[in-house]
Amino acid sequence: MIAQEAQYRDWMLAALMGDAGAYRKLLQGLTRHLRSYYARRLDVAAAEDAVQETLIAIHARRATYDPALPFTAWVYGIARYKLIDEYRRHKRRATVPLDEAGELFGHDEAEEAIARRDVSKLLDRLPPAKRQLVKDIKLDGVSVAEAAKRTGMSESSVKVTVHRALKSLAEDLRDGKDR
Amino acid sequence: MRTDDLIADLSGRLEPVAPGALTRMLATAAVLGLVCSAILMLWMLGLRHDIARAIMSFGMWTKLVYTFAIAGFGFWLVARAGRPGADMARPARFLALPVLAIALLAAAQLAAPGADMRGLVMGHSSRVCAIRVILIALPTLAATFWALKRMAPTRLTLAGIGAGLFAGAVGGFVYSFHCTESSAPFIGIWYSLGIVLTAGIGGLLGRDLLRW
Repeated sequence: MIAQEAQYRDWMLAALMGDAGAYRKLLQGLTRHLRSYYARRLDVAAAEDAVQETLIAIHARRATYDPALPFTAWVYGIARYKLIDEYRRHKRRATVPLDEAGELFGHDEAEEAIARRDVSKLLDRLPPAKRQLVKDIKLDGVSVAEAAKRTGMSESSVKVTVHRALKSLAEDLRDGKDR
Repeated sequence: MRTDDLIADLSGRLEPVAPGALTRMLATAAVLGLVCSAILMLWMLGLRHDIARAIMSFGMWTKLVYTFAIAGFGFWLVARAGRPGADMARPARFLALPVLAIALLAAAQLAAPGADMRGLVMGHSSRVCAIRVILIALPTLAATFWALKRMAPTRLTLAGIGAGLFAGAVGGFVYSFHCTESSAPFIGIWYSLGIVLTAGIGGLLGRDLLRW
């Protein structure tokens, strides 16, 4: 049995009764799985489109979920259908392997956790002020103008600082200093 | 649109779903299909003239029970085909029951002493039986497709075959009220042929028509 099954199923059952909060948590959780599922099978732009299409399909067809059946298998069925649809639309001759629901709810969690840990380990090597800037702009999507206002720096020096910080991190990685 | 905004939007207009709403929708479509098929049959062929007497005969009940059983398991198959992740193998296996039953009954009738084999198998309407079953099934097939498209079939050819099995069996059930054949070999061969061909049509059409 897939680890998240019980939690997702609870959220889904609440959502079917109209609980918008549970529904939002459910969709946010599923988005992570869907992103890594499509990222491994489609190019970047198509993958995010497929994620959104699948979320819309989950929403529009939510009445087809039968509480007597596993929720993860239901989501996987829709995700796989949308993947095949995407292949068909681009007239690509592709075989979709007959994998199982585990493909959608499997290793991505671990991969993501490792990636997060690597990034934060790397960022720790920057001085705190720079670290904050890189984190804000590159990870959290704060705009340069916003960051400049927060720090009291000019926009161009924010850009330069971030650029230099990333460059030094890249050099560190190349030299293997993370060992 | 950003995915976060999409999620906010979707959860913002979430409406509760009544339990069983989907099955009710499918059942309504199936009943509507059956009514249309019955009207088509009455308009095209009409009831058999001895219906009052025939309704109690063994042959009539053979046809009705056989086609009704296939329609019932076919409906179950369609209900599952429209739900992602639901396994269709179980209803498909149950479909073997009526087929096995009619085969045994047919074998018994053919093996009876003095049986007119040719008469039992060919009857007097074998040439028109399957095609009439298919024609009568078409309104039900259309109604079932309509409902299935509103569900979420993920294996379209299989879903189409399921819809065709159901519609074909409804066609056979309705045709039973016109057809005067009563032998199990006839029903087992010609009714089944009509049902199987309708299933084939459903499979071919399902690939394209059931996309959502």
